[in-house]
Amino acid sequence: MDSRESSSSVTEEDASLSLAKEASLLFHSAKFVDCLKVLHQLLHTKPADPKVLHNIAIVENLQDGFSNPKKFLEVLNDVKKRSEKLATASGDSLVGVSNLESNVVAVSNGSTCLMPQSSAANSPSIVLNAEFASHVASYNIAVTWFNLCEYSKSFSILEPVYQKIAPISEGIAFRICLLLLDVALLSNHASISAGIIDYIEKISSVRSMISQSENVSATQPQPPNLATKASSVPSTPISDISSADTATNASEISLSRSLSEEAEYENLFSTLDMSGQNLSRPSILHSLNDISRTQVDDSIPIIDLRLKLHLYKVRLLLLTRNLKAAKREVKVAMNIARGNNSMVLFLKSQLEYARGNHPKAIKLLMASSNRTEIGTSIMFYNNLGCIHYQLGKHQTSAVYFSKALSTSSVTRKEKPQNQTHGSFSLDKSLLVAYNCGMQYLACGNPILAARCFHKASLIFYNRPLLWLRIAECCLMALEKGLLDSTGAASTSSEIKVHVVGKGKWRNLVMEDGIPKNSQADFAGRRESFLGYDRQPKLSVSLARQCLLNALQLLNVSESVHMSSGLPSDLAIEEETYTKSTNYKGVSGGDSQVHNLAVASGQIANGELKEQKNATTPNTTLRNSISDYEDICGKEIQKIRQSILADLAYVELEMGNPLKALSSARSLLKVADCSRVYIFLGNVYAAEALCLLGRLKEAAEHLLIYLSSGNNVELPFTQEDCGLWRVEKTVDCEESNGGSVATSNTSDEGQVFALNPEEARGTLYANLATMSAVQGDHEQADKFVKQALSTLPNSPGAILTAVYLDLMLGKSHEAITRLKNCSQVTFLPGSFAAKESS
Amino acid sequence: MNSFERSKSLYSLLNSGEHRPFDEISADFRSTFPTSLHFRLCSSLVILLQGKQLLRSSQRLVAYAILHQAYSSQKSSSNPFISLLVDAASDQDAEKFERAFILQLLESSSSTSNKEVLKQSAVDFIKYFDIASHPFPPREQLQQQFCDKIDPEQYQCLFKNTSVKNVVTDPDIPSGCDVESSEFDLQPGVKPKIGAGDRDETVTGLLKNLSFQGLGPQWIRPFPPRLPVQYDELVWLNPENHHDVLWDNGMCADTSKGAAVRDLIAKALKGPLAPAQQERVLCELATDPKLVYHSGLTPKKLPELVENNPLIAVEVLIKLIHSAEIAEYFTVLVNMDMSLHSMEVVNRLTTAVELPTEFVHMYITNCISSCENIKDKYMQNRLVRLVCVFLQSLIRNKIINVHDLFIEVQAFCIEFSRIREAAGLFRLLKSLE
Repeated sequence: MDSRESSSSVTEEDASLSLAKEASLLFHSAKFVDCLKVLHQLLHTKPADPKVLHNIAIVENLQDGFSNPKKFLEVLNDVKKRSEKLATASGDSLVGVSNLESNVVAVSNGSTCLMPQSSAANSPSIVLNAEFASHVASYNIAVTWFNLCEYSKSFSILEPVYQKIAPISEGIAFRICLLLLDVALLSNHASISAGIIDYIEKISSVRSMISQSENVSATQPQPPNLATKASSVPSTPISDISSADTATNASEISLSRSLSEEAEYENLFSTLDMSGQNLSRPSILHSLNDISRTQVDDSIPIIDLRLKLHLYKVRLLLLTRNLKAAKREVKVAMNIARGNNSMVLFLKSQLEYARGNHPKAIKLLMASSNRTEIGTSIMFYNNLGCIHYQLGKHQTSAVYFSKALSTSSVTRKEKPQNQTHGSFSLDKSLLVAYNCGMQYLACGNPILAARCFHKASLIFYNRPLLWLRIAECCLMALEKGLLDSTGAASTSSEIKVHVVGKGKWRNLVMEDGIPKNSQADFAGRRESFLGYDRQPKLSVSLARQCLLNALQLLNVSESVHMSSGLPSDLAIEEETYTKSTNYKGVSGGDSQVHNLAVASGQIANGELKEQKNATTPNTTLRNSISDYEDICGKEIQKIRQSILADLAYVELEMGNPLKALSSARSLLKVADCSRVYIFLGNVYAAEALCLLGRLKEAAEHLLIYLSSGNNVELPFTQEDCGLWRVEKTVDCEESNGGSVATSNTSDEGQVFALNPEEARGTLYANLATMSAVQGDHEQADKFVKQALSTLPNSPGAILTAVYLDLMLGKSHEAITRLKNCSQVTFLPGSFAAKESS
Repeated sequence: MNSFERSKSLYSLLNSGEHRPFDEISADFRSTFPTSLHFRLCSSLVILLQGKQLLRSSQRLVAYAILHQAYSSQKSSSNPFISLLVDAASDQDAEKFERAFILQLLESSSSTSNKEVLKQSAVDFIKYFDIASHPFPPREQLQQQFCDKIDPEQYQCLFKNTSVKNVVTDPDIPSGCDVESSEFDLQPGVKPKIGAGDRDETVTGLLKNLSFQGLGPQWIRPFPPRLPVQYDELVWLNPENHHDVLWDNGMCADTSKGAAVRDLIAKALKGPLAPAQQERVLCELATDPKLVYHSGLTPKKLPELVENNPLIAVEVLIKLIHSAEIAEYFTVLVNMDMSLHSMEVVNRLTTAVELPTEFVHMYITNCISSCENIKDKYMQNRLVRLVCVFLQSLIRNKIINVHDLFIEVQAFCIEFSRIREAAGLFRLLKSLE
């Protein structure tokens, strides 16, 4: 402000204005060196002007190819802060002025600084207002985060700007919308994406309207004079009235006023009366092609926004899994693009991939890609990897993923030459790394998988699934005996018996089946999760840490999902719509309600006028979004079950029965918990309770499966396992050919180690143990027999039987049982002793 | 499980009973092994002691001595193996010298006088053992004496208190032979026959392999399944839209135009603008569609603008149609007093943009009630005629759906049927029915 006061001389103002113009010209013709010179000159006359600083930062970074995005962000954030400070400073003075005048400020909801309302226009602080807007800086920060794949950060910067987008000039507003749309789609914010699409359609139709109304005003150079048509009006009755008019009104209104009003009355009456014949409102169809109309130099350089919008819709529909509608949109997009836009082909391929029509997806990918271009070849290989993963061909998918990674490392090397764009872009290797991790996990290689997930955690750190997957790596390593701490597989597929001594002195020493939580290995050891080579070191405690992270993030995302979905929800919108019928009552109050009413009112209007083109796709969007919220809710519950089951397992493994119990109990409380997980929850809870010595409660968890006659029902069926799998047959019926049937079976087989029969055997064996411990040997014996008949080869069941034999002192039976069993490994126990003696 | 080194040194301690006194051996035990290992090693010894044949007599005595001496610094009742020692002392089947030895051990801790039993070696103890000099008190008495109060609240853990011994003898001898027979003992210098075995090797082997916990109750803990890959979990990559950083055009921008418009709008609130001024405002608003947001207008001021400069009001509202505040403006518009100008504004709006149906309906209702409430007959006629043509225009242009307002409008037509336009509107309604 002080600079302004000193520079009240108009010439200085003009000078900086022309300098600014020159800088802009130089910038847009990419003469960065000269541009910088001019900018520094400007800075001299206007020291610390945020916008000048901003533009300097832009030019400098364009010059060196955004080599240091961190610093760039720092500068921009600083610029933003400065602008906001100035804006609030001016806003304060503004409020001061308007408070003197009236209580106007109360009407506008908080947007004081952007939209000046006071009539005290001669106060210089208000004139500056547009100058303080920091949205360009915000946009540039968001672009930078976007390019760094930090979508949530980008989103949080841009979303508030979007909320106050109306006063922002159109070109920039469009860019903000498009960027926010990309970011929202990439971070799965479906309803916000739909809102932005809506808004873009609206403002683009506004544009077309504006251009039309301009045409109208061009033909009628004197806007206030609509009276030219009055001649065609049947004017007799009106003139009657007008002649009688003047006398009666004299007392109320001044004469001149009433006279002019009279004329206006006639005008209005006549326009209304005749307008019926030929009036047609400028149609609000989406003549989006008009949008390329340029406005100064911040307009969008896109030729076809229409295609873009269709593609965004396809992405949104794919996100919300409305594949049918997505297919329709893709078709439209294909027609517009005439088949040679690689983005359309990629999206179409993704659609077919989502529908499970993998051969077609591959075909489209092949057609799409101009593989010599490195940027797309990463995507090409990555997507092929995804397809083959779903086909269960893990070797092939591994090859493709590693190809994708190797091409991305090539790009990284060639980076300096690649910076011709107006911004830079992070290579996608971190995203591919996640896929790689999934593939290693499916192949049973937890250590490599964890390395990949560790890489991916740089961008996916706020995804609950990532942490769950790392925990799964740990568990798999535990299962395979790859953890340093235990050394041996915890649930080995065999019983180990050490043979000690020879001949007369031969003894058999049985190794305990359950991992005896050897506290020395786990308890309280604070180890860093990264090994010496900066690679994640798998351990049970790492698993627990990850699971706790996942649970925390899941709770956050659930609450977000609960709150975000509502405003755009169709049902609710209609509800408020009917509520707000009492229009007079809510004057100036809750603007949110009004907005909704306005929006839905427009839909009703649109249908009334049979402009179906304009409105139906958006209702589809809305519907699929509300479906999507359901799906998300279900998915969150599914992930929650998985996390809690893993957590209960891990706590048992670490010897924390109390914590295990609470996890198992929360698992049992999950709404619509799968029967598979109910079974696991019960077994884990029972074990935890046994460890806590609460046998009775433990028994309750197992006895629910006991039907009459000591028979255990199947705790779940094969269908329950099937239900658990991903429901992906969204629209098989209209796919061409039966190719959909080749769904993914190989992967699921691995995922589901447990089948219903085994689960029943497990229950029998555990019931036997419980009976034995409680002293009911007869009952225990019965259960053991049933356990062995359902699971003749399970080491667990056999060890239970052996335990029972030993408990009853029948060591001979125990030995024969062990010797007759194929799952027993006899280890030469005294080997070491002999060797060194 | 004990390491090989540990089991070997423990075993050598057991063997040293041949020539060294018990107290030296137990002192060695305490110095060789860290305290944390004591319980584990003692447990292994217990298991060895349970297999009656495994240890020689002298070794057994040494083992008992270690069991006792490892915890001798505490009260005898807090020795974890006290009940085992008492049991062994009162075991009728056991060797008498063994029982006597344990008794002396137990007594040694209560009275300082009896320490000399520890000063001899195991071999000596057996050699000079005199059965006659030793009374054997019954178990109950011993229990009372040494385990004065057995802690009734033992740690109630199912899986720890119910372990069974996990060592089973499985003599590997030709069938029909007697295990007890000495023919299977290893004879030095003689080629071992089938079924022969080395006791020492077995003991060290056992020491090495024994887990002191024994075999606990078995519990099958099913492995949790992996979560199947979710719908969009695998990252599918699509070509991305490019977003370039932007130059800020607002730098040193010329704000004079905005100021001028703001001034004019402020004037427009007070009274009608001159045609040239009005045209300037309209023109500026048309060239910069965002200027309206900086024009200083608020919903509260809208009525003044509508009354004084309806055309500017229309233009401003059209520009604001997608702003968040438009609903507020509409609310104000619908609630302001009926006037020629407000109707003109609404009419123009209906032809220029889509208005919320709700708003239009409300406005019509407002019009109708205004007509009904006017006292002045002449003014009423004027207004009714105007409203009628307004409604006809709305219906013809399909801006409203008559059926939503049918009853209201019909009643209005009937009430004012004396007016020609009302009759015309009524006919129009009928024709649409």
